[in-house]
Amino acid sequence: MKIIEVKKLGVKYGGIGVLSGLSFDIEEGDYIGIIGPNGSGKTTLLKSILGIVRPDNGSVRIFDCACHKLRCHHKAKIGYIPQKGQIDPNFPVTVRETVMMGRYSSIGLLRRPTGRDMDLVIDALREVGMEGYIAAPLGHLSGGQQQRVLIARALVQQPEVLLMDEPTTGIDTPTQHSIIKLISNLQKDLALTVLLVTHDINMIIPYVDMMALINTKLYAVGKPSEVLHEKTLTEIYGKQVIVTTKEGGTYVIVGDYHYV
Amino acid sequence: MFEMLSYEFMQRALIASVIIGLVCSIIGVFVILRNLTFIGAGTSHAAFAGVTLGYLINQNPLSLAVLFSLITVWVVGFLSRRGHLKLDASVGIFYSLTMALAVLFIGLMKVYNAEVYGYLFGSILSVTQSDMLIILVLGFIVLSLVYLFFKEFHFITFDEEMAKASGIAADWLSFLMLTMIALTIVISLKSVGAILVFALIVTPAAAAYQLTYSMIRMFSYSIVIGIGSSVGGVFLSYWLDLPSGATTVLFVSAIFFLSVIFSPKRGRLTSI
Repeated sequence: MKIIEVKKLGVKYGGIGVLSGLSFDIEEGDYIGIIGPNGSGKTTLLKSILGIVRPDNGSVRIFDCACHKLRCHHKAKIGYIPQKGQIDPNFPVTVRETVMMGRYSSIGLLRRPTGRDMDLVIDALREVGMEGYIAAPLGHLSGGQQQRVLIARALVQQPEVLLMDEPTTGIDTPTQHSIIKLISNLQKDLALTVLLVTHDINMIIPYVDMMALINTKLYAVGKPSEVLHEKTLTEIYGKQVIVTTKEGGTYVIVGDYHYV
Repeated sequence: MFEMLSYEFMQRALIASVIIGLVCSIIGVFVILRNLTFIGAGTSHAAFAGVTLGYLINQNPLSLAVLFSLITVWVVGFLSRRGHLKLDASVGIFYSLTMALAVLFIGLMKVYNAEVYGYLFGSILSVTQSDMLIILVLGFIVLSLVYLFFKEFHFITFDEEMAKASGIAADWLSFLMLTMIALTIVISLKSVGAILVFALIVTPAAAAYQLTYSMIRMFSYSIVIGIGSSVGGVFLSYWLDLPSGATTVLFVSAIFFLSVIFSPKRGRLTSI
């Protein structure tokens, strides 16, 4: 079943086109990576799906509803993990408070969180392996732990769709792999539709079902083996790109590289 | 002490100081965490301009203070969201504009009016029955709004974009928060004065910020510090025969410096 439908999407910021003529569909249960260089419109695409950015042309629909007209019950089914900025280590917010915020939309106006909401918070933290940190200040955790908490905040909504913007930014390489693996496991265990924006192609190749290559417009969409072509990637990145295989895995090398 | 409580003006001052301390300390947490400190300073000047116009045209000064401060926060909020102008720049414009209006209105008065200067420097001991009514009504409105939308305010204070993405009406709530800041300033104007009012909003919350890593606890600590220093300021000013607004601000400032010294965030105490 089609969950997200992007049709001839165009978005402009201050008269400058950020996205132009994007069309593709995402089916229920798909795990799709949105790939492109910095400034290619990846985050704008996510924000268009969330209804935060309104399309100038075309349309974006989710759950068969125009994204800029989404009602709360629709939004409650979308878990969003924004690009993690620097969290002030002194900001007074605990892990429990952070994850509970994910419930607020479902709880509704003028109501207070109940015991069931607290149970869901604990369950979500358990899913990401952070249940032992429930009372910790968010700012005291490492970048990888903070990202797990933000994933738990999205999961506590009990979403059907997970939208993630650069979930591995500012995290060391081993932790990046564990975060991507965690997302992959959650996608399978909870039957989620996942749309993951990243500039790190190699990190997600083994995990995603589909990839969409964008740089203002859509260059290709399909299985990784179908879309990862040197010519297309070179055009998108504006630099020489090599696609190579080693020990059964596909690797993409963008820009400066040296033969040894 | 009991003799002082037998005076009606003292009873009014104490009730007013509890309400003002409570409202200011709660709103202050949002102001500190959302970096809205400067907007409060600008709004207090706007409220004072309203007061001076009230005296000039012989209308209720606090009603006009409400009007001026609401117009200021709404226009500043609109300009910073839709006008591509940074918040501090738009506040800066209104900060001087409204102060210029206040000076102009005072200049247009034919006679010297000591009450106007009372609003500039504050005197909680001169709070009247009608002032009490305004403090009670506006205080009730602000506290009710905080109670009703607490979790939504909590969310937009931490992460406005995420709140918006999950269906919270963040833009609307941000304007509501600005409205509450304006009303809080008007409530406190008579007792603390336009120049010092913002200390009562910012300082208890800033002191509480030093003491905890939990937003919920920050509210609790800010309320205790806010009411404690507001009531303490009244007692001190009565006993020492000092101006009430200045005494309250000096008192709460002393608490702030103590909280900085003993802050667990600087390792002097274990984490609270």
